[in-house]
Amino acid sequence: MSNTARHSANSWLMLFLAGGFEVGYALAVGGSHGFTRLSWSLVAVVFFLLTLWALSTALRTIDVGIGYAVWAGIGAVGAALLGPVFFDETLTPIQALWLGVIIAGVVWLKLADRPQDTQGTQDTQEAAARPREVQGTAH
Amino acid sequence: MQWLYLAVAVIFEIAVAIAAGKAEGFRNRAWTVATLLSGAIATYFLSKALLTFNVGVGYALWTSVSGIGITLLGALLFGQRLNWRKALGIVVIIAGVVGLQLSGAA
Repeated sequence: MSNTARHSANSWLMLFLAGGFEVGYALAVGGSHGFTRLSWSLVAVVFFLLTLWALSTALRTIDVGIGYAVWAGIGAVGAALLGPVFFDETLTPIQALWLGVIIAGVVWLKLADRPQDTQGTQDTQEAAARPREVQGTAH
Repeated sequence: MQWLYLAVAVIFEIAVAIAAGKAEGFRNRAWTVATLLSGAIATYFLSKALLTFNVGVGYALWTSVSGIGITLLGALLFGQRLNWRKALGIVVIIAGVVGLQLSGAA
């Protein structure tokens, strides 16, 4: 029982890490200036691979819909908040509001892909396989 | 031009989703290569788009529009049901994108 709990805690830690790596990826891709700056470009590639690894590891045990929703939310919010910190960018309150609407929509959409309202074993298995089939994104 | 870059980045991000799904946990080599290649192309065009868009804005646009594409393709090609929850998510994202554009950020 405690093993299961620890396993689950590790998966969530991995998921939050994947979100953090995705923020690093977004910032590095922006900082690479169209991949004309070598150091930022290399950092972007490293974060890309780290995200791929952490997300796929976390999603082995965490529900795919929930996992993607949390991961996408962290990535988008983190990029929006840290963009102005690292770069010469400003975000007005009204723009932040619309950005919040978009991010809420993404999180909602990922949650909506959860296999929840299906009946029967076969349906459930099929549904469980589905999100992975078309949502397996971890650029 | 930044919208064109963003559109190409979105198309390849959708390709990443499809390829990663077929890569069977990266055991299938051909689809794994397709995943990484699509990811590289998507990333390159995202970086071109981010020359104009702010990072937070461009990233949110990219990931959200890709999400819409993945959901719609799932319904069109993979027989997934497009229920009211997904439709609502799509409408909310579109409203946010339009609002963001009207506010002058995109």
